[in-house]
Amino acid sequence: MAHQTHAYHMVDPSPWPLTGATAALLLTSGLAMWFHYNSTTLMALGLLTTLMTMMQWWRDIVRESTFQGHHTMPVQKGLRYGMILFITSEVFFFIGFFWAFYHSSLAPTPELGGNWPPTGIHPLNPFEVPLLNTAVLLASGVTITWAHHSLMAANRNQSIQALTITVTLGLYFTALQAMEYYEAPFTIADGVYGSTFFVATGFHGLHVIIGSTFLIVCLLRLIKFHFTTAHHFGFEAAAWYGHFVDVVWLFLYISIYWWG
Amino acid sequence: GVPSDEEQATGLERKTLEAMKKGQDPYNILKPKGNSGTKEDPHIVPSVNRKRLVGCICEEDNSAVIWFWLHEGESQRCPSCGAHYKLAHYDVPH
Repeated sequence: MAHQTHAYHMVDPSPWPLTGATAALLLTSGLAMWFHYNSTTLMALGLLTTLMTMMQWWRDIVRESTFQGHHTMPVQKGLRYGMILFITSEVFFFIGFFWAFYHSSLAPTPELGGNWPPTGIHPLNPFEVPLLNTAVLLASGVTITWAHHSLMAANRNQSIQALTITVTLGLYFTALQAMEYYEAPFTIADGVYGSTFFVATGFHGLHVIIGSTFLIVCLLRLIKFHFTTAHHFGFEAAAWYGHFVDVVWLFLYISIYWWG
Repeated sequence: GVPSDEEQATGLERKTLEAMKKGQDPYNILKPKGNSGTKEDPHIVPSVNRKRLVGCICEEDNSAVIWFWLHEGESQRCPSCGAHYKLAHYDVPH
């Protein structure tokens, strides 16, 4: 009976990388079909396969870690590096959109009237719903820290309550932002202002939804006793992601809503 | 309340935690202790078998690693820099 003499996790063969790659192909070609040939079938298939891959892959990771104990300290360290690198890559993703915004807004062209906001655009008042949204996200940062400390102090009830409030705040942000999108006096088609505004805030909103989903999964796992006081990296990863989303919003708020 | 690792850790993770508590490191998680490599104080190489490959980086930043099999018994010397290595048997926790 040969047991490994190292602390790393040699993962069992899995179909999810293949299904994930297939899903990526279906999604991208589906997007092209939607844009150019007015057909959503391929894209719907792509979304479905992406969702199924994610759910089954991450379910397997929970099984390997919580139920089978494969996540030793070195494995956890690797996961931490991975999450940080991923978030860093997302930071650069957003940097691109901020670059686009500043490129167009710092030197507004004559077509825009030579000013920013462009002539005819009535921007949203930053001290109304956008300010509330800022407070909501900042508060969620506080509550998730509360949840984390409660978890480490073995305080189950407070941890669950705090994480529930965090999730609620995330959903509240999404609802508020959706309403703002609906009520806004300008659209994505309104020149470069509309493009930069909706692409930057739109991708941010998508990331809030992703973050909220991650946190909901954490809440379910917390309720089901998956996390221990010392080992709860899934929770920490969700918290990091949530803080990142919050920081991106702060930059968006300052640059696009306020200065813009 | 919230379970502790003591209550709930399982599998390999549990084995590493329990070994650490006893001051052992059977899965080579930590850096090996820095022995000087002399005859009196050879580098200790833990092994579950009767021999283990050793890669000696004689001087810091050397890119040519000196590989050799270290057998159980008397300490052996690196053919390039002469540092002493001794195999120490151990068993992984069952």
